[in-house]
Amino acid sequence: MTDLKVVQKNGNTVGEGVKFERIRRITGYLVGTTDRFNNAKRAEERDRVKHGL
Amino acid sequence: MSGGKRIAVKISQARQGWAGPVSIRKRSGDIAPFDSNKIREAIRKANVAVQNEALPPAALDELTRRATRAIPQGRVPSVEQVQDLVEETLIRAGYAKTAKAYILYRAEHAKIRQSQTDLMEIYKELTFSYAADADMKRENANIDADTAMGTMLKYGSEGAKYFVDNYILPRDVAAAHINGDIHIHDKDFYMLTATCCQIDLLQLFKDGFSTGHGYLREPESILSYSALGCIAIQANQNEMHGGQAVPNFDFSMAPGVAKTFRKEYFKALGQYLNARWGLEYGQGQEIAGQAKAQVGADIAMSSQVAYGEKMAPWLAARPELTGIDLPEAQKAHRRSVETALAETDRASYQAMEALVHNLNTMNSRAGAQVPFSSVNYGTDTSPEGRMVVRNLLLATEAGLGNGETPIFPVQIFKVKEGVNYNPQDPNYDLFQLAIRTSAKRLFPNFSFLDAPFNLQYYKPGDYNSEVAYMGCRTRVMGNVYDPNRESTCGRGNLSFTSINLPRLGIEAKGDLERFYQLLDEKIDLVIRQLLHRFKIQAAKKCRNYPFLMGQGVWIDSDTLDIDDSVGEVLKHGTLSVGFIGLAETLTALTGKHHGQSPASQQLGLEIIGHMRRRMDEEAKKTGLNFTLLATPAEGLSGRFVRIDKKIYGEIPGVTDRDYYTNSFHVPVYYDIRAFEKIRLEAPYHALTNAGHISYVELDGDVCKNPQAFEAVIRCMKEAGVGYGSVNHPVDRDPVCGYTGVIGDVCPRCGRREGEGVPLEKLRELRKKFPGMPKFYGLE
Repeated sequence: MTDLKVVQKNGNTVGEGVKFERIRRITGYLVGTTDRFNNAKRAEERDRVKHGL
Repeated sequence: MSGGKRIAVKISQARQGWAGPVSIRKRSGDIAPFDSNKIREAIRKANVAVQNEALPPAALDELTRRATRAIPQGRVPSVEQVQDLVEETLIRAGYAKTAKAYILYRAEHAKIRQSQTDLMEIYKELTFSYAADADMKRENANIDADTAMGTMLKYGSEGAKYFVDNYILPRDVAAAHINGDIHIHDKDFYMLTATCCQIDLLQLFKDGFSTGHGYLREPESILSYSALGCIAIQANQNEMHGGQAVPNFDFSMAPGVAKTFRKEYFKALGQYLNARWGLEYGQGQEIAGQAKAQVGADIAMSSQVAYGEKMAPWLAARPELTGIDLPEAQKAHRRSVETALAETDRASYQAMEALVHNLNTMNSRAGAQVPFSSVNYGTDTSPEGRMVVRNLLLATEAGLGNGETPIFPVQIFKVKEGVNYNPQDPNYDLFQLAIRTSAKRLFPNFSFLDAPFNLQYYKPGDYNSEVAYMGCRTRVMGNVYDPNRESTCGRGNLSFTSINLPRLGIEAKGDLERFYQLLDEKIDLVIRQLLHRFKIQAAKKCRNYPFLMGQGVWIDSDTLDIDDSVGEVLKHGTLSVGFIGLAETLTALTGKHHGQSPASQQLGLEIIGHMRRRMDEEAKKTGLNFTLLATPAEGLSGRFVRIDKKIYGEIPGVTDRDYYTNSFHVPVYYDIRAFEKIRLEAPYHALTNAGHISYVELDGDVCKNPQAFEAVIRCMKEAGVGYGSVNHPVDRDPVCGYTGVIGDVCPRCGRREGEGVPLEKLRELRKKFPGMPKFYGLE
């Protein structure tokens, strides 16, 4: 999940090197961010298109 | 040795010349002395296994000689070369059956050798690589395999799988799993336990329970109910390899709310009396205590008006309360109720917040992962039940400590006409709140009690008749073993095994009859395997499950003594055959998947319908709950296609991606409207009685469009979907805490990924946005 040492201080700025968290459903459940997904689910998540209404 | 046909083998004369090599190269690469007796033994063993091919010792010696002399001179041969020559020798001499047995024996040993090597390779990879690099370490996204406990869990898991493969499974079943025809899920737990359970907390809490380290009294406040609920989930998770669900979450927490309300009422009354009449601390409390004893302790949210009609005259007669009259007494009661309601609401929120935090942080299962927890709710219309649900949703919306999206519990809102679906329904406001929460946090998912296959069991007000889903999608309701117990609580899945459907589609080469033949063969195999596993599960004793069975969580386990075997009560559980990749199967058979062609949709329904019929037949035949599952498939989504790609190459629309499409879904990459996707997938829900789900991917910031969200949910309900959810991007910037849709630039603090934000700016933002993450020591 969120890194423990998320934020470094560099001079007067905070947050260098910190990525955005992308939370996605894996298969009905969530697992936090996609860097936890296995390769197959990552590939599937990349392929997902949006469904119009 | 087998009798029967004798084959003439001319014994050659001993002669000079090549008598075979002196050394042989082993598979490890080492050179060892060549021993022709090993060839002799191998041929003899192969021959023993066949009928009607007699092989007397003299013939055996001759065949050994011939095989040995066939090895070419001049080079040290490899084991593989020698084995090839043995095969040739046997065939040339007319020993066809022995040759065939020899070939099979060689192949089996190759497989075993393969998995032996793999086990040590696996241990090496587990030990030395990071999860980011090793796909195998990300097999289960909920385990952090970079930690000591996570790695230890994997060591055990891989070793167990190896053991089961080589010492437990029938050979053809082991082979079928290894080569990707089938997938036995949770094979590491094969000898140990069952999958999951729907836990009735109300039943468990009554008169208290024990987790093996001391007795826990029946809880007396909503906070205790919530805490004990987490403990129950964790305790049960320690004894089963799958998820743990609470099918009646609102019903089971409601008594906690009621108990808290009662406490808060008398507390408020005591304080009000002190303040209003200037009494000393203790005096008001004393009067409140007397009221509780004399008027009654049974005040509840829905009965508080009637209670007040008893309380007010009693209060008005108290001499300590100088100058009190009836209107004053009524006011005292009303103010106490108001306070109690507010305090109970606050306590409920804290309890739900604590629950969400607990289920996201407390590890069980070898300390490597949080329990896989799910809660179902939405149909309790009592004020207490409603208070639980409202606060759970609000706590979920607020998120974890730094506003993060909670992963657990998986929340499922049970949609039901007459209860929460329409504006005039008592819980409609909760349905709206659920939509709002889900738009932000991806939970709750939505289940539909009005789907015909769910509705058939429904009895209003009876939570045991309401179908519950596990977070992953498992569903256990029908009961062939005992048709009088078609109920939710205390039941779950025993095990499930999935079939590689796309491979059958490829192998059939367009011939449907062949396809069904192959499919039936696979189903036969899986049924055999499920029964094999069930036999092992059934032999376990109550003492193997001190919580699940010892505390009566599993249905009817309260009738068991500690050394009774659990087989009979386990029969209430389900044995499920699963599948993935219907879309790829249809493409393999017809060139198009069911999103692309009505004919393919028709065929898809026939195929899944056929599988369901086979399950129903088997259930009827055995009296066991055989069911059909639309497999969740996390690790499996890649495994089957990886193997198939190696065997069949890249077939467009079938094996040309890194995954097979989930269950009966229209492929994720296929452009289709939400309503059309739902319409196509809904009929498969009816066929997959062991569990199913449909998703829709929505664009953009769904938080800003709850009507669109609701439209999708309503479409699912009307189409007869059993369980569904809406996917949309949920992004978060850990620096400023913004949660929503983030493209390249964070809408709150304006930074790009990897950029820093000036402290000044963060301080400014903190004034506008409460609840931003704090970075202690940095400011």
